Amino acid sequence: MDFNTLLQQEFVLLDGAMGTLIQRSGAHYDHSPETLNLTAPELIQSFHRAYVDAGAQILYANTFGANAYKLADSGCTVAQIVTAAIANAKAAAGSKALVALDIGPVGMLPEPAGAMTFEQAYDYFREIILAGADADVIVFETMTDLLELKAAILAAKESCDKPVLATMTFERDGRTFTGVSPAAFALTVSGLGVDALGVNCSLGPDELEPVVAEMTRYTDLPLIVKANAGLPDPNSNVYNILPDRFAECVVSLLPYGVKIVGGCCGTTPEYIAAIRDVLAERRFIPCPRTVDTAVCSASTVMEINVPRVIGERINPTGKKRFQQALLDNNIDYILGQALEQMKGGAEILDVNVGHPEIDEKQMMVRVIKAIQSVCDAPLQIDSTKPEVLAAGLRVYSGKPIVNSVNGEEKSLAAVLPLVKKYGASVVGLTLDENGIPSTAEGRFDIARRIVTRAEALGIDRRDVYIDCLTLTVSAEQDACRETLRALHRVKTELGCKTCLGVSNISFGLPNRPLVNATFLAIALEEGLDLPIMNPNLDSMMGAVRAYRVLHGIDRDARAFIAAYQDAPAVSAAPAQKGDTDLFTAVYSGLKSEGAAATERLLQTEDAMAIVNERLIPALDRVGADFENKKIFLPQLIQSANTAQACFEVIKKHLGTSGESVSKGKIILATVKGDIHDIGKNIVKTLLDNYGFTVVDLGKDVDPQLIVDTAVAQNITMVGLSALMTTTLKSMEDTIALLRATPELQHPDGSSRVTVFVGGAVLTRDYAMKIGADYYCRDAKESVDTARLVFGA
Amino acid sequence: MLPEHIRRADALRYLGGAGIAPDARMTALLDAAEAELLAAAKPKYLYQIVPLPCDELTRGADIRAHLAGCDRAVVLCATLGAAVDRLIRVSQVGDMPRAVVLDALAGVLIEQVCEGVDRLLASQMPDAYFTFRFSPGYGDYPLTLQRDFLRLLDAPRKIGLSMTDSFLLTPSKSVTAIAGISASPIPKQRRGCVICSLRDSCPYQRKGTHCGF
Repeated sequence: MDFNTLLQQEFVLLDGAMGTLIQRSGAHYDHSPETLNLTAPELIQSFHRAYVDAGAQILYANTFGANAYKLADSGCTVAQIVTAAIANAKAAAGSKALVALDIGPVGMLPEPAGAMTFEQAYDYFREIILAGADADVIVFETMTDLLELKAAILAAKESCDKPVLATMTFERDGRTFTGVSPAAFALTVSGLGVDALGVNCSLGPDELEPVVAEMTRYTDLPLIVKANAGLPDPNSNVYNILPDRFAECVVSLLPYGVKIVGGCCGTTPEYIAAIRDVLAERRFIPCPRTVDTAVCSASTVMEINVPRVIGERINPTGKKRFQQALLDNNIDYILGQALEQMKGGAEILDVNVGHPEIDEKQMMVRVIKAIQSVCDAPLQIDSTKPEVLAAGLRVYSGKPIVNSVNGEEKSLAAVLPLVKKYGASVVGLTLDENGIPSTAEGRFDIARRIVTRAEALGIDRRDVYIDCLTLTVSAEQDACRETLRALHRVKTELGCKTCLGVSNISFGLPNRPLVNATFLAIALEEGLDLPIMNPNLDSMMGAVRAYRVLHGIDRDARAFIAAYQDAPAVSAAPAQKGDTDLFTAVYSGLKSEGAAATERLLQTEDAMAIVNERLIPALDRVGADFENKKIFLPQLIQSANTAQACFEVIKKHLGTSGESVSKGKIILATVKGDIHDIGKNIVKTLLDNYGFTVVDLGKDVDPQLIVDTAVAQNITMVGLSALMTTTLKSMEDTIALLRATPELQHPDGSSRVTVFVGGAVLTRDYAMKIGADYYCRDAKESVDTARLVFGA
Repeated sequence: MLPEHIRRADALRYLGGAGIAPDARMTALLDAAEAELLAAAKPKYLYQIVPLPCDELTRGADIRAHLAGCDRAVVLCATLGAAVDRLIRVSQVGDMPRAVVLDALAGVLIEQVCEGVDRLLASQMPDAYFTFRFSPGYGDYPLTLQRDFLRLLDAPRKIGLSMTDSFLLTPSKSVTAIAGISASPIPKQRRGCVICSLRDSCPYQRKGTHCGF
């Protein structure tokens, strides 16, 4: 018997809880119940046997926490425990049941909420999977983080060809602890090629209907339900749903395509027997998905059933500042672009970080990790290099879009397998070896070719989004009609969704916004689903919003009204009092007023005089008031932000670039092991505001990276932050390494690096003891120190 | 367990003002941040009563002194959840003043959640007396006990609270602690600098003295 044979039956019966039986038996173990596989094999086998007798067809081996992290102080290896656990389950199963290698979360919170990286998680899972070679099935359960689960599934798929089942645990609000929705889970995990998916643990089966109902809309796979026996009494630890009621509730979930059922915490063989009995005379009810195509992040699902805006601005092409940000590793700038587009109305963000002077693959991984840590939008991973796409796809939490594949054989062969493996959607460009066909028919043919190839690999055509390519109307006026005709045919004849970059159309013409917005409106009417555009241009977003009203998508024009009802008020608001003086503006942290006041002063006063006689004294006053506790920290930051806006105005006036007036370059880092970085970020903001150039290495930073950066960029000032007593040691190690690096020493062997340190548990004495040059108790002192050191 | 309001006076102390009233703009910032935080926070907590002595959980002289005379202790943990960390993280992109305010308010909020657990325990054991909460990392009480606390309470699985290799709790706005339980009144304890919530910004400590509390 194998898993696929089992699936041919009406239902597949899983077992119930292992932990509950262990607890009731009173068996003693240190730390990990998995050690009982070695110390009390007969006991574990007796539990398995009880489940077989109750009708279970798949036994979960006692391996839930058998990972290297949890077993660290158990005295046992993963291989020992897993081998013994599978042997115990097999001994009980005989030929009556299959044995599943049961794998729970590692037990550390993954990035960004925690510190475990995707790669670490992958390694933990891979070790268990390799140890469990004798199992028939692999089960991932009680998962709460989508990226951790993805690491687990990839580890399974890349190490063996066993069937994979995946279940997550949801809270009463319908989300996991880390905010994953049932829809995002079902969509993502279906794409990764599991054999069944569903829910375990969580709540009682009486409360799971919303979760199961949501999942089934997004998947054609059979669903798994392995619920708790209700809720435990906090004192007696007895669960409140009894076997018969439990089985009844399970039956009520069958219409959602539930095929594989068992029990989690609090359930026993009696529960499994009760389910067996009620299922005996019932039939499986298939429940095909109702959502055609959608993409998602871990928390947000975007169904492509109405026009969705893809923001195009995370792309260095033709943008000097963006290119500079890539060269400087300035991820914050890119994050700013992401959030600004979201504010503008983008629903999906295109991410392109291609630049000849950087490692695009590494940057793609960094940027995707960073964006998904602050932004809920699904992403479109955009590169011409398959290896960059692969690296980005791997660490993306959700179902992304790949941008792009085209009709060229080389592209089809390299990109489509990635799309299949990672369960993404893909943009198909209607061009090939011979370029872009001039006729709609030519482009349609390429689209059909792409779809055929995709389907041959098992990619649903609904996940192929065809781009019929916009050409510049000033160069080829008739090409616009061909693009639109091709788009219409693809939509109606191929049944694919369509996307289109719209801004190119107007190149070389005056009043480009008018042409772009008009073209966008026509394209939407021809069936465009995914305009790739700048959501921060009001004419473009306006066209989309108006389209949604006119087509009855935006019911009662609610979104439209919300977007525009305050519009006159907003445009009237910047009627700033023209008389706010610069000092007041900076002191009160009024950014736009400060910039306006600077503009006015520049008409009559010398730029440097404004800086020295007005801006700096205002900032000094703010700093002094902060020290004397007359204002709060946020006010200090607001003032510094305002001063920076004023400096920008002056820089523009002087016609200098940002680089040339930098007061000095400083490395900032939160030390290895420490993941609390708000203090460091405040220091960074203020140093930025005061005109210093900050190279921010982030948190949990390896000492060697700090040294390497200092050497490579010849930076001699380093700020280190540590929040916990446990990580002060890392701070000490980092300073020692900086001091010991020959490249950072004077000829006489003394250090060229000035180190300033700060953090909640640090004292001045301790800072000196570990070899720092300056102790800064807050961000203000850090700025003072930098000014002192650089004489700025 | 979510209070209706976050104690503003405490948050203002974290934000560096001493005895001054926030102006209208600062107040607006605090109001907005408080509303956002209360919407994002999903407080969860766990506790378990353990008999004393319990060598494994009471390593160090400070905790033993703290629990002197108690025959039981309550081991507890609480978290505001991952969404609060995310809110603070997002606000740090481009709006640091708001981030700073959110961070300060969240620090106060997790303490208020713990106080809620204190009250719950007191109501369940009306005849018992409790010491104040003592956390790993206070005095000589090893931070490494974080691992034992989380394991005892099954916190990663039950409320999504875990820790890093360097024993930092994740999500970050979280607490683990132990409090002694006694059948007879407990002499009022000196809290001392190590566990004082003002220790990060204490002007006395900076000068090498203390407030005498």
